[in-house]
Amino acid sequence: MTDSTESPDLQRRSGLRRLKEGTYGGFFAACAAITLLTTVAIFATLLSDAVVFFAEVPIIEFLTSTNWSPNPAGGGQSFGIVPLLIGTIVVTVTAAFIALPTGTLTAIYLSEYASPNARSILKPLLEILAGIPTVVYGYFALVYITPVLKATLFPEMSTFNALSASIMVGIMTIPMVSSISEDAMSAVPDELRQAGYGLGATKFEVSTGIVVPASISGIASSYILAVSRAIGETMIVVVAMGAQARMPAVGETLFGIPYFNPADVLLDSGMTITVAMVQIAGGDLTGGTIPYDSMFALGLALFVVTLVMNVFSDIIAERYREEY
Amino acid sequence: MSNTSSDTTEDESLITTEVETGSANWSPALGETAVAARDLNVFYGDEQAIDDVSIEIPEKRVTALIGPSGCGKSTFLRCINRMNDMIDVCRVEGDVEFGGKNVYDADVDPVALRRKIGMVFQKPNPFPKSIRDNVAYGLKIQGYDGDVDARVEESLKGAALWDEVKDQLDSSGLDLSGGQQQRLCIARAIAPDPEVILMDEPTSALDPVAASKIEDLIDDLAEEYTVIIVTHNMQQAARISDRTAVFLTGGQLVEYDDTAKIFEDPEEQRVEDYITGKFG
Amino acid sequence: MATDNANADGFGEVSRVRGILFEYLSLGASVAGLVALGVLLVYVAIDAFDLASASPGWLLTYFLTLVIPFLAFCLYSADDSAVTRRVLVVLAGGLVAVAVIFTAIEAFVVTIPRLSWQLTYLFVVVAPATAYLAYVGSHGRVGAVGFGLLGRLVGGTAIGLAVGTLFLVFDELVWFLAYTLGVLPAAALYAYGRRRDAGRAVTAAIPVGLVGLVAAVFLRGVVRTYPSDLIIYLWTLAVPIAAVGALVVDARGSRTAAVAAGGVPLALAIAGGFLAGNVGLPGPTTLIVIALTGVPTAIYVHRVVDVGDGTVGLGLPLLLAAGVIVGALVVEAWGVPAPDPWLDVSYVTEAPSRNATEAGLYPAIVGSVIIIALVAVLSFVLGVGTSVFLEEYMPETGVLGSLTRLLQINIANLAAIPSVVYGLLGLGLFANLLGFGYGTAVTASLTLSLLILPITIISAQEAIRSVPDDLRRGSDAMGATRWQTTKNVVLPEALPGILTGTILALGRAIGETAPLIMIGAATTVFSAPSSLFSRFSAMPMQIYAWAGFPQAEFRYGVVAAGVITLLIILIGMNGTAILLRNRAERGS
Repeated sequence: MTDSTESPDLQRRSGLRRLKEGTYGGFFAACAAITLLTTVAIFATLLSDAVVFFAEVPIIEFLTSTNWSPNPAGGGQSFGIVPLLIGTIVVTVTAAFIALPTGTLTAIYLSEYASPNARSILKPLLEILAGIPTVVYGYFALVYITPVLKATLFPEMSTFNALSASIMVGIMTIPMVSSISEDAMSAVPDELRQAGYGLGATKFEVSTGIVVPASISGIASSYILAVSRAIGETMIVVVAMGAQARMPAVGETLFGIPYFNPADVLLDSGMTITVAMVQIAGGDLTGGTIPYDSMFALGLALFVVTLVMNVFSDIIAERYREEY
Repeated sequence: MSNTSSDTTEDESLITTEVETGSANWSPALGETAVAARDLNVFYGDEQAIDDVSIEIPEKRVTALIGPSGCGKSTFLRCINRMNDMIDVCRVEGDVEFGGKNVYDADVDPVALRRKIGMVFQKPNPFPKSIRDNVAYGLKIQGYDGDVDARVEESLKGAALWDEVKDQLDSSGLDLSGGQQQRLCIARAIAPDPEVILMDEPTSALDPVAASKIEDLIDDLAEEYTVIIVTHNMQQAARISDRTAVFLTGGQLVEYDDTAKIFEDPEEQRVEDYITGKFG
Repeated sequence: MATDNANADGFGEVSRVRGILFEYLSLGASVAGLVALGVLLVYVAIDAFDLASASPGWLLTYFLTLVIPFLAFCLYSADDSAVTRRVLVVLAGGLVAVAVIFTAIEAFVVTIPRLSWQLTYLFVVVAPATAYLAYVGSHGRVGAVGFGLLGRLVGGTAIGLAVGTLFLVFDELVWFLAYTLGVLPAAALYAYGRRRDAGRAVTAAIPVGLVGLVAAVFLRGVVRTYPSDLIIYLWTLAVPIAAVGALVVDARGSRTAAVAAGGVPLALAIAGGFLAGNVGLPGPTTLIVIALTGVPTAIYVHRVVDVGDGTVGLGLPLLLAAGVIVGALVVEAWGVPAPDPWLDVSYVTEAPSRNATEAGLYPAIVGSVIIIALVAVLSFVLGVGTSVFLEEYMPETGVLGSLTRLLQINIANLAAIPSVVYGLLGLGLFANLLGFGYGTAVTASLTLSLLILPITIISAQEAIRSVPDDLRRGSDAMGATRWQTTKNVVLPEALPGILTGTILALGRAIGETAPLIMIGAATTVFSAPSSLFSRFSAMPMQIYAWAGFPQAEFRYGVVAAGVITLLIILIGMNGTAILLRNRAERGS
């Protein structure tokens, strides 16, 4: 040993160095704590104002009333979520009709058919679809899609309508379906495919008969995430769908089950939960009024629905994941 | 040896006792004990990796730990500088003494401990920094105040790498060949002037020529440092070590003696079987 | 298989028709969304630049003066006869094909609004061919040099403009004092300490800097006289940038080159700064832009000339500039009818207006830049802090392991919460409860930071996880504390990945609109914000506001120009992120 002090000093560091080390650790912990606090803050913010709202408007009325008019000209406010739910559901379902099949087929193509080269080009390009600002999609729907649809397929369509908005929401959510589904399909081991080919199956039969069923939990969880994204989508519908909370004409079928004609809603302007929130925010932000509080009630509904769907999708992906 | 006794004054009594009550294999001619384990048991969860090992490792000698894979020799090595702390499920019982101090005492800072004990890994792992910064790393984190460049040069010479890299100290350590990278890691380990150098199969990822350079280097290192090397190459252990400890399955230390004794006339039949290749 | 019994003389054949149909169906699905988006982008570009009214002569002029030279440059750089042949075939064949098909559709099926076959050719054939050639060309040395220089010019200008914009809200006098009293002494101490190996000087740098900063804030109210803005920018930004440039060049050897690399851009910047006022440009911003563009350019030119390979590529910016000028002269001389683009210089420098032709995006652009700058700082610090905590400090098992998992699940859930709900959080917490005000830049930045935080964290975690464990163990075994290992080994390795993820997340933040509406951001403001607490607008807010205007000039002109501006900024950010990632991947 060249050093003169050989007796090892292994004591825990005290003083400045210890403090420095602790400070950094504490800082990182504080950063992580902020993520937890965000969730708590969101929940607390929504709940505190929602509670005030439900003190004024009974929850039953909120859930069953078919009239949404928070700021009527002549007075007589009404806070019924039903028309908003109908608008949200119509947009979400229509968007799902576009995004789910397209996204699934895209995932199959990427995972089973595409050459590595094509995949390396297509995957980042598809991500662009999710990266375009939603207000831009809304503008596209309003200014380009609606006139084209009006000129060709639906002459009776109004300037603001649910269909154009839904198409754009659908296109935007394609990559959400395709990327998660493709991950699940790529995780299917090649032995399973080999087994299929060994039995004389064609590539089509292997893709649809073996790979898709084997990755069904991943596909399902991607569907739920995409639908939850569509439910929360705001700007596309705000710009392209207008802001009229309309209740479609409800008919009764056999056994008294109510129904409405989707075309009534699709081709006309309407309102989703998110649009209702934006509309109120555009006018009144001072707080303390019932419309102000109603935003938080709607936000709470949205928050709970998306959270439940997200957790549900996690559970599906976890529980039904095939262990290879 | 004479210069060391003065430095361990505060623990002198303890060390003296150890020397006297040491195992039967202990030969006083080897000098002071650098590292000692007493009744060491290590568990990974429920699995026992080290089974009641006691050993005294002399300073400024090369001590080889050999044995079949999974015998606990690497685990033992990592107990000495408490690298096992990084593994959540690892539990250590018993004492490991370094300079007469149990490193598992509550007041011991593993970070301070590792600054006294260098380590070289199986796979060369130079940092993605310049050669100079790699060697100076230990000095930097310890807040070394002296002439860094001189220490870098001294360490690279000590690792027999200086002549090959002296003109490219600012190029990346990753640009070197595997053998050079491993010598760079050795230079990095000796730069802060540790007392002990732990080597975990340092040549197993290298080609034979590079490996033999490292072996020569280990010989030189033992003049200044206590070297503890894990290897599963028995020829290597025989070539370079002064003392050899044989671990067999289950984490038991079966025999520990002068290398010549172990390889020529082992006490235990199991050790002889292992060394002659009957199993392992 | 003509015989009845196929098995008698062969194995028969299994029909693949279904499979082939399915393959093409899935291929079609994969590109359907992209094609739809492509068509929409083409139309919005046509509207923004008024290309519908561009005469064929105008298109041809710029095709010949700008596009053809650029393609020739890329071909020269690629130096591959196969590529040349392929591109020429595509360009020529595409011309014929597009003209024929387009005319046929117009004649027999339906008229296509606002498109001519020439425009279609440009978008469908020339644009992809150019992109492909630029990609191929950039792999040649000449092309790499050309694009490298171009990138420094554009990047320097963008950063310079952004810095100039930030000083609209940040007090430059505080910065002047802080730089003079804190930053400069600290940097000098640090540099001295490193050069002389005096550890004490290095350690002293941080406290000295802090004292300086505190003193600056204190003195701001006391000191009465200050130098002019131009002098402040010169002293605090241009001179240090030039000095750093000179040092970089000096480190590579030549002293005279170093003086030139620092001095020439500095002289140009000073000249530009003092003369800008005469042509109606803001002097300080001009100074910063020239300094930030000139110094990196000078360093790059010196390096290229020093290496002596592909120097021809340095001519690319000149080639393009010459193309624009010649094109403009030809259009002017021959009176070729030119389009009148909505997106022009006045659009990005003027305030919004009820009158479509005078409407501009300037205050919204400034608002967006300020918000994004704050969001970048906040989300980077919080994102890196959280990911380091989760990856380096927390165990994966035991009681703390469950806490890690809880944090992880929470972050995943935060990422799935609709942005409009974050808007409510901002409204309830930052605007009302904490009193940061409705629609202020501070409220917006905090809200958007929390919104993109989960994305930043997740990508930063991936980057940190990709650092090999070998390196951590190596550092730990040297006796490094956890923080030392993190700072010296993990973060330097993970930084490119972290930056990439952060920039991509910022791209998300810059386009977010719903949260801004919820916190009460103004749809339209007529002057740029002057402080962090003044009401501001942002690009997407302005687009949202204009999209509601019924006039066609707004719908098909002003908004289109806004959309293109926003998308260009987005592409610039994402392109930077991808370049960063590629460079990091090549480096390791």
